[in-house]
Amino acid sequence: MSRVQISHDDVHAYADRQLPPERRDAVEAALVRDPALAAEADEIARQNAWLRDGLDAMLAEPLPAGLVDAARPPRTRGRPPRWLATAAVALCTLGLGLAGGSWLRDDQLVRAGMPTTFAQQAAFTHALYAADVRRPVEVWAPEEKSLVTWLSRRLDYPLHAPDLNAAGYALVGGRLVAGNERPTALFMYENAAKERLTLQARKEPADVDETAFRYALEDGVGVYYWIDDRCAYALSGRLDREQLLKIGRLVYAQLNANQPTR
Amino acid sequence: MSDAPLPHPDLLAAIPRLRRYARVLTGDVTRADDLVQETLARGWEKRRLWVAGSDLRAWLFTIMHNVFVNQRASAVRDAQNVSLDDEGDGGAAWQVPVHASQQAHVELQEVMRELTRLPAEQREVLVLAAVEEMRYEEIAEVLAIPVGTVMSRLSRARARLRRTLGGVDEDRPTPLKIVR
Repeated sequence: MSRVQISHDDVHAYADRQLPPERRDAVEAALVRDPALAAEADEIARQNAWLRDGLDAMLAEPLPAGLVDAARPPRTRGRPPRWLATAAVALCTLGLGLAGGSWLRDDQLVRAGMPTTFAQQAAFTHALYAADVRRPVEVWAPEEKSLVTWLSRRLDYPLHAPDLNAAGYALVGGRLVAGNERPTALFMYENAAKERLTLQARKEPADVDETAFRYALEDGVGVYYWIDDRCAYALSGRLDREQLLKIGRLVYAQLNANQPTR
Repeated sequence: MSDAPLPHPDLLAAIPRLRRYARVLTGDVTRADDLVQETLARGWEKRRLWVAGSDLRAWLFTIMHNVFVNQRASAVRDAQNVSLDDEGDGGAAWQVPVHASQQAHVELQEVMRELTRLPAEQREVLVLAAVEEMRYEEIAEVLAIPVGTVMSRLSRARARLRRTLGGVDEDRPTPLKIVR
């Protein structure tokens, strides 16, 4: 068998998951043969996990108003002339819409209004991450156990990732979402047609009551949301209302089955 | 309703990561937020230069790196007697307003303490690779250095961390291997 020369750079790239598949296989084979190299790769992975676990806490912090303001388009500089704005609005009204890069979406978002409620925020977050092909989640499904542990710890609430295979949706993974109020956990699911659903959960203050299922349609994203046992949930997806409700019931039933009795 | 223009969602989504990286760079919460602020302002100014469809995060990190390097250079000019290299004062407590569990807070303090002990150039590369999970080529672009330099800094950062964290003693280079 031919042996490929493995460098220390390869070991770093392997631990950082940056190798193309064939190179990765070669490194893996070398790790099996060479315990010292394997220890090096393990150590890097351990350091990475330690760094991420420590630093991820910062992602869930509420944003200071000054920085939210800095994300607003500047009004003084580079403001389009009034006639241009009017023309753009006219075009939209005519149904021609604005095509192009994501910087052009501002006007549309202004008209649509920014999410202020939990359901709006959930739909907005869903749209942001479900469309992300390369990095929809922070932690992928194979690490479900550590994902759930991590998110539960960050929210300070015992979470579960419901099993939605019965509805044809498999867990993709999850992430922590920086909310303006409290950190939110996000679990993402995908069906065979690559359609994605997200379940978001946020711990609520002690005095918040449970609610029934509520439905909202935000910019094409359907959201079922409810509060149960001091946790607010939002199930979002671009499916019709009945389908989404069916999955919502599945989620609800499983979460309740998992809840410790108190 | 306020008539302020609404925040751009992609920028808004990038802020938590920018803040985190800014804290790693500056070692200070207030300075970090100032750096993010300046980065976002530059982002708006230069938005025509952003290639639609490319990674917005990497682009913003590049801007932040440049702003930081320039700020540090002018600060050094302004006060040449003040050492701005964080090397050596890594033991300082890190005041971070984290709204998370106590354990998460302790872990964060620990990580920040070890990170501030690394030379800034190693710290940057390590955090971009290990925490931001950027590709080495992307890191090279953000920091405007060759990929080979990314690798050597990364390797040194990890070796140092390994020593301080008291893992297996791998201070020495990998010994000659005996295969069978």
